Amino acid sequence: MTTPCRLLAHWVVALTGLMLSAMALADDAHVLRYAAAHEATAQPLEIYGALDNDLMAPLLADFHARYPDIDLTYRNLTTLTLYRRFLAEDEASADVVMSSAMPWQYQLANRGHAQALTTSAARQWPQASRWRHELFGFTFEPVVIVYRRDALEGATPPDSHEALLRLLTHERQRLTGRVVTYDPWRSGAGYTYATEDAHMSPRYWELVAALGGVKAALADTTGEMLDGLADGRYAVGYNLLGSYARDFVADHPQLEMVIPSDYALVTQRLVLIPKRAPHPETAERFVDYLLSRQGQQVIRDKTPLGAVHTALEGEGTARDLRKTLGDALHPIAIDPSLLATLDTLKRHSLLERWQREYTRLSDNGP
Amino acid sequence: MSPPVNSPSLYRRLLIWLLVPMLALGTVMLVQAYLASRDTADRAFDRLLESASLSIAEQVKRQQGQLWMDLPPAALKMLASNAEERVFYALYDAHDNFISGNAELPRIDDGQGNMRFTNIQWHDMALRLGVRRSQLEGWRDRQPFEVRVAHTREGREALTQTLFQGSMLRLIAMAMLAIGVVLLGVRMALMPLTQLRRAIRARDPRTLAPLDLPLPRELAELRETLNDLLARMRRVRANQERFIGDASHQLRTPLAGLSARAELALRQNDPRAWHDALGVMRGSADKTARLASQLLSLTRLNNPESMPEARDIDLCDIARQAVRDALSSCHRAGIDLGVETPSHAVIQRAVQWQLAEALANLIDNASRYGASRITVRVGETPTRLEVEDNGPGIPEAQRLLVLRPFHRGMEGGQGSGLGLAIVDGIARAHAARLTLVPARPNAESQGLRVRLHFTEDSTP
Repeated sequence: MTTPCRLLAHWVVALTGLMLSAMALADDAHVLRYAAAHEATAQPLEIYGALDNDLMAPLLADFHARYPDIDLTYRNLTTLTLYRRFLAEDEASADVVMSSAMPWQYQLANRGHAQALTTSAARQWPQASRWRHELFGFTFEPVVIVYRRDALEGATPPDSHEALLRLLTHERQRLTGRVVTYDPWRSGAGYTYATEDAHMSPRYWELVAALGGVKAALADTTGEMLDGLADGRYAVGYNLLGSYARDFVADHPQLEMVIPSDYALVTQRLVLIPKRAPHPETAERFVDYLLSRQGQQVIRDKTPLGAVHTALEGEGTARDLRKTLGDALHPIAIDPSLLATLDTLKRHSLLERWQREYTRLSDNGP
Repeated sequence: MSPPVNSPSLYRRLLIWLLVPMLALGTVMLVQAYLASRDTADRAFDRLLESASLSIAEQVKRQQGQLWMDLPPAALKMLASNAEERVFYALYDAHDNFISGNAELPRIDDGQGNMRFTNIQWHDMALRLGVRRSQLEGWRDRQPFEVRVAHTREGREALTQTLFQGSMLRLIAMAMLAIGVVLLGVRMALMPLTQLRRAIRARDPRTLAPLDLPLPRELAELRETLNDLLARMRRVRANQERFIGDASHQLRTPLAGLSARAELALRQNDPRAWHDALGVMRGSADKTARLASQLLSLTRLNNPESMPEARDIDLCDIARQAVRDALSSCHRAGIDLGVETPSHAVIQRAVQWQLAEALANLIDNASRYGASRITVRVGETPTRLEVEDNGPGIPEAQRLLVLRPFHRGMEGGQGSGLGLAIVDGIARAHAARLTLVPARPNAESQGLRVRLHFTEDSTP
């Protein structure tokens, strides 16, 4: 094993907890397979993704309908397995790797493991949603607040971080034990959001203290939080993944989803083509499809993921969100600051601070 | 005598000598401009490495007995410009142990100061590495550590290209201007040459008058040289005209004599008078024939185109042969003709018939001008041919004049006046020195010694 790989393996071990990401809903590897129409002319394509099968299926089906000659296999893995597999040199590489773990995807591309894609769709892709021509963000998912209408009667709804802080402070008694958020220790997404929140405003630490004050429950996944909100265990959920929440809230009328109006974090799923990809041509065709108007249309119409393509309008698209939220929209930048997120010392510093703030009020509480 | 077709023109030569060095200089300047651009770009981007490493170093502290840092994301962002460079950083302690970072970067051992830079090749990537040596600022321990940051070179290359393109455009503009100036300058400088050519071409081909037109100094020298040549040609032509005049005069006189004599004889009926006249006429015709043959050899000698074949010959043989040829006529005239040669051969590269002609002329001359004793001599070191007589000699003032055609040493002599001129021509053809000195300076009848003095390069 080469030195940098050992280094990465070291991180992998150190960050095992982080890997239990909410975004990888499926723990076991599900496989979706679309066989080629004609065995003889079949061109294989192997995609590894940390995206649920039911989210991927409409995209893959549409792609396969357009390119029936491609023998397509989709493996749904956790972000950890994905990352490990990528770096394991003795294992065959995938042709396309998609993941919501932005820092890790960035780390792989930064190390030169990704190859460039220069199709016209890739060249026209918005600057903010790509890095070089190697890493592309193909979804647009805001991080949201979800609350139960019945539990917050009489109180101002938390439509911003500021309002949420006020709510937690004023309604501390009523909300104790009834607030839920990501556990930054155990969830990669939770940790990423905490870093970004802390970066956005130093008042985030007041919010953490307030969350500690109401003894907020810490969850690993958005699904877990949504379930708790639906069955009434929780009144408010903070920092939920909007793409999952939107459909869920639509099905549960007592729930309300709010995109914070002061600033809204936006996370993107990043796709890259490994340099070691055994079938780079089909891989390029797939990524080009993901970035094309057609692919993005499927994302908008048949998934809750949010289309990035600048020409597309409609609920959940990047264009729509920008129009309604304007400057408050804060997509997590695909830039080297993602690397800082992966720094072990940095992680310890942040989490220690988080822990300190979280326990501040309960230790000296009234 | 037209120049070869492919001989390079002066214009082209000048252009080549001006433009080729200019091109070489331009290339050197381009290379220099590229290096300078790269250097500038490197310096500009090294500042980024410097500030990024500084802002990381400021976050390094000691915590729980070990080095600790709270990595500022802005420091990493700083390392990536619009070119979206790949970014690497690492923190190392004093013993070169990796503490944290996203890559294990090498150290830089050479160099001075707290901040060092170098280019490295790392996992197929060309990186610029900056290493900052720093130490903890604390009350108790001042542990040293190193912050190493690196990024790929895209931004630097883009800046280098931009800077280089700017310099290149300026250089190209300057080069175009310089080429234009050179073309114009060369054309202007060569203009007088064209004027000179036109002036020469426009002349009447028969005129030999000197050229008179204002020219720059270098060409004025050429004009003077040309004028000198023209002056020489004028003299040569004057000589030739005089020679032709003299020659026709010389030929006309005996022919007129012949005609008069024949007419006189025809008026008489006495066959004896006819006989006498015929005798006189034969003598006159012989003399005229000899004159004609002498004129012919003189012309041959003066012809610059003729290249007679020279070979190594023995001067003694020539001298003896000449004496043998002249012996009978001298004997009749009662002249004592002798030859003095060394016992061995004296070899000289020469044209045989010319030397024979010269000796015959000298012997003939001496016999005609009242010598009673003639000696032909061959000498060594220096190689020479001499003909000495005991005649009246030639006064010093006359000695140069007698070398000219049709000048006779004495009025009323029997010679044609061509003999010494022919000898002089032969001497010149052999690059030999011809001297005329009295044989016995103190005697009443001085005599004459004509000497052909061969020098080192005496070959015709």
